[in-house]
Amino acid sequence: MFRAEPLLKIRLLMLATEAPDAALELARFGLFNPAEHAHSGYDQAFDESPAEAYREAWLQAESRLSKVVEQCGGLGELVIPADAAAPSLADLLELNDWLKEVWTTCLGEHEAEMRTQDDQRHLEALEETLEKLERLNVDIAQLLRQDGLLAVNIGSLPVISLKRVTDALSITGFLVSTFDQHNEQVYAVIAGPREREAEVRGVLSQAGWRELPVPLELRTHPQAARAWLIEERKRVEERAGVQCKVMDNLRGQYRPRMDEARLRVALARPLAEAALVGVRGKGGLAGVAGWIPRRRVDALRALLEERFHGRYLLDVAVPEAHEAAKVPSLVRYPGWLQPFVPLVKSYGVPRYGEFDPTLPFAFTYLLLFGAMFGDIGHGAVILVLAAALYRRLGRMAWIGIAAGAVSMLFGLFYGSIFGYEDVIEPVWMSPLHNPIHVLTVAVSFGVGFIILTLLVNVRNKFTAGHVSEALFDSTGIAGLVFYLGAVGSVVSLANASESAAKLANPAAVLAVLGIVTVAIFKWVETRAGWGERALVTAIETLETGINLFANTLSFMRVAAFSLNHVALALAVFTLANGLSTAGHWFTIALGNVVIIVLEGGIVAIQALRLMYYEGFSRFFSGDGREFVPLRLELERNKV
Amino acid sequence: MSAYLNTRVSLFSGRLWQNGDFDALIGSPDADIADTLSDRGLPQLAAGYNNQDPLSLEQRIIAEILDETRVLIRPLTGDARNFLIYWTERFEISNVKTLLRGKMTGEKPAALLARLTPMGAFSRLDVQDLVHAEDVTELLRRLEAGPYAGIVRQARRAFEDSHDPFILDAALDRGYYEGLARRAQPLENAVGAAFRRLMGSLIDCINLVWLLRYRFNYNLPPAQVYFLLVASHYGLSSSRLRQLAALGSLDEILIALPDGLRREMNGVTEIHEVFARMDRMAADVAGKVLHSGAGAIARAFAFLILRERDLRSVRAVLRGRHLGLPMGDIKQALQRMPEGAL
Repeated sequence: MFRAEPLLKIRLLMLATEAPDAALELARFGLFNPAEHAHSGYDQAFDESPAEAYREAWLQAESRLSKVVEQCGGLGELVIPADAAAPSLADLLELNDWLKEVWTTCLGEHEAEMRTQDDQRHLEALEETLEKLERLNVDIAQLLRQDGLLAVNIGSLPVISLKRVTDALSITGFLVSTFDQHNEQVYAVIAGPREREAEVRGVLSQAGWRELPVPLELRTHPQAARAWLIEERKRVEERAGVQCKVMDNLRGQYRPRMDEARLRVALARPLAEAALVGVRGKGGLAGVAGWIPRRRVDALRALLEERFHGRYLLDVAVPEAHEAAKVPSLVRYPGWLQPFVPLVKSYGVPRYGEFDPTLPFAFTYLLLFGAMFGDIGHGAVILVLAAALYRRLGRMAWIGIAAGAVSMLFGLFYGSIFGYEDVIEPVWMSPLHNPIHVLTVAVSFGVGFIILTLLVNVRNKFTAGHVSEALFDSTGIAGLVFYLGAVGSVVSLANASESAAKLANPAAVLAVLGIVTVAIFKWVETRAGWGERALVTAIETLETGINLFANTLSFMRVAAFSLNHVALALAVFTLANGLSTAGHWFTIALGNVVIIVLEGGIVAIQALRLMYYEGFSRFFSGDGREFVPLRLELERNKV
Repeated sequence: MSAYLNTRVSLFSGRLWQNGDFDALIGSPDADIADTLSDRGLPQLAAGYNNQDPLSLEQRIIAEILDETRVLIRPLTGDARNFLIYWTERFEISNVKTLLRGKMTGEKPAALLARLTPMGAFSRLDVQDLVHAEDVTELLRRLEAGPYAGIVRQARRAFEDSHDPFILDAALDRGYYEGLARRAQPLENAVGAAFRRLMGSLIDCINLVWLLRYRFNYNLPPAQVYFLLVASHYGLSSSRLRQLAALGSLDEILIALPDGLRREMNGVTEIHEVFARMDRMAADVAGKVLHSGAGAIARAFAFLILRERDLRSVRAVLRGRHLGLPMGDIKQALQRMPEGAL
């Protein structure tokens, strides 16, 4: 729970023809994280990428499948049989071709549907336009004569192109006259000398010009156009009906094989995904590399043996020191700790071998929240609300429930219920009446917290093999010695007792020893000229002292917020006491809501901030790799 | 924030290359090229040079520009931020063109993906999804549902009519630069003449170069040429462009240019010379703005224009060396680099 599981690097060699099945078995195994091949040993000889074509075919098939499903919809739940085998490359290519055919057909029908919808919209616009055309006091038949000196076009174009088209056509002596507008389309008559008609075609095409199909009837008998329009509309609607039927037929025709296609695409996914990281091979052999937990090696061997009967080679190795940054972190958390994992991961993933802070984070976060927001009533409201919203919040609701419970516990310690300080006796103390004590406790907690983070960092550095940093850096043993000395000095100065005075000198010596060690380390580590080196050493050494001092004082906010909580409640009571009975209770209720929402939110963020910046930043690099196992996409549906 | 940006631009301007730097790069022995590039603040290009991969070199140049743009954008907000982000999007428009051409030729998705420029934090397109479009029509439909809907919609309509890849490219380019000019408008009002001069030199250069290419290389009719240019209110205004598009020869166009521009084009007889002169003029304007007390965003934009010009020239030198061209030819090519070639 405090660190990632020990992992081993495996290299699995098999016949290239069995690579899809091997990847499928690894996905079913559920604890194999694919990794790049090493650039040494026999890996070097495996210079081919036998799964590239497979991945390419799978990507295309997957893309086509999802487009078909998106377009046609209506497919049921995918069930993956436990003994189903992965498709071979030839199968996948055949499937891909079939999906291409299906998608091309669907796409064609879809395009036809869109064109029909476009035509329907166009006819609607035409109907309205017709009224205006009828009112154009011109002989349209004469206007549209093909043998006239004047070339006339009636149609529409996007309104944003109108000015540009008008300007461009003016070069060729053409005029543009608009007579209607629908949404972003403007309807216009374009007229000009027929001998230059060819010159304007390019412009009109580029501008998205759409010719109005003025029917012959309209040219000779404008009133007959209405009948033509009705006919045309009927025709388009019939076409839409036919297209719907065609789509329904297609769905019915393709449906049985679509389910099979989905299954095969799902079964092919593992090798395609593994190929992304790198499946290497030579001749008829293929190899995959990756990480698995040490505890599961035997189980994997058994699984492979059962499936491939010795037609494989499994090479297992302990990760070498230079590979440490590439090893993913697999940490197993108990169920009750799971809700806190996303909060830690939002800062970063612990490196392999690094201390995993989730457990101390969970306890400390709740402790800080409770200490800053200690109130039985407010805690109970948070608890009940989180429980009520469980379905919506999922596992995260447990954080609210736990925070509410801890808040109630601290409410009991502080003797506070909905801001009332005199209803129950505090089990420990009331922050309002003991502010100095509360501040001292908060800072003391901070000192303990910072010492803990420094110790964890020392452990992490040792584990990573950075011994000099663990010993001499500002966040290593030297920094810790300085911090302990500095804290001892401050405590002895603040305490008048004789025993404390005796502590002053040794503490100061410890502090000086620590900071001098840190300074020497910075000097040695800095690669620069003398001047820059001196400057960097001075600044970084000074920063060590300032940071630790500031981080410690930062914990005063824990006390400040516990006082703030009482102060806010007092403000609410003062306001309420000046009002009548109804106003009094209304103000109390509203004030408590404000306290819960506003202060509760701020305290939740402050507790998180303390954890991230005063804690994690000292020991947690957060740049680890998450263990991402190869999986069948819809494994939950496996039967 | 403008103090920070001004300081950052001043520091960055030290990375700009002088003529002597190019001479040194051209004359360096092969073994020293990577070191020379590293010393001049281009370690990514140094690595690319050793790989002998021209495509990778292109991508590395753009990665360098995007990195520097990201640093400059950091303190910006509002119109200035939007403008610089949009300035990077021309690389993504270039990706759109690559995707479209790839679909026209039936290129495989993996090969197509490898040819796209990684946009990193500036990426707005789901290229993984787009490369798997079945054909150009589907790709255009998908693009139309994405962040470049405005630019692509018109291009699609034009393409559906003509099925001409040139029309598609021209419509995309025009859509992009009209968007740039639109985004520059509030900054021209807020920052003033310096920013307007920069935009003016950029758009004038693009318009004149396009006008000449469309008119005399592609032989398009004047109306279409004018339609394909970027609407402009700079030195070469829209009305001036309309007049120029109607003229029948390079000489007539050069004579009809505004006085200042006409003087600069004195003695020019070929279209590629126009490219070179306009490019140099734009660089002069950017250099003056960079070393002036203009607003921080104007200086940042000027730096990016100059930086890109430098990197284009570095690319020309490296490609020239790869091809084993004589030093004289490489030097000559450096003076003829057209704007917007990246």
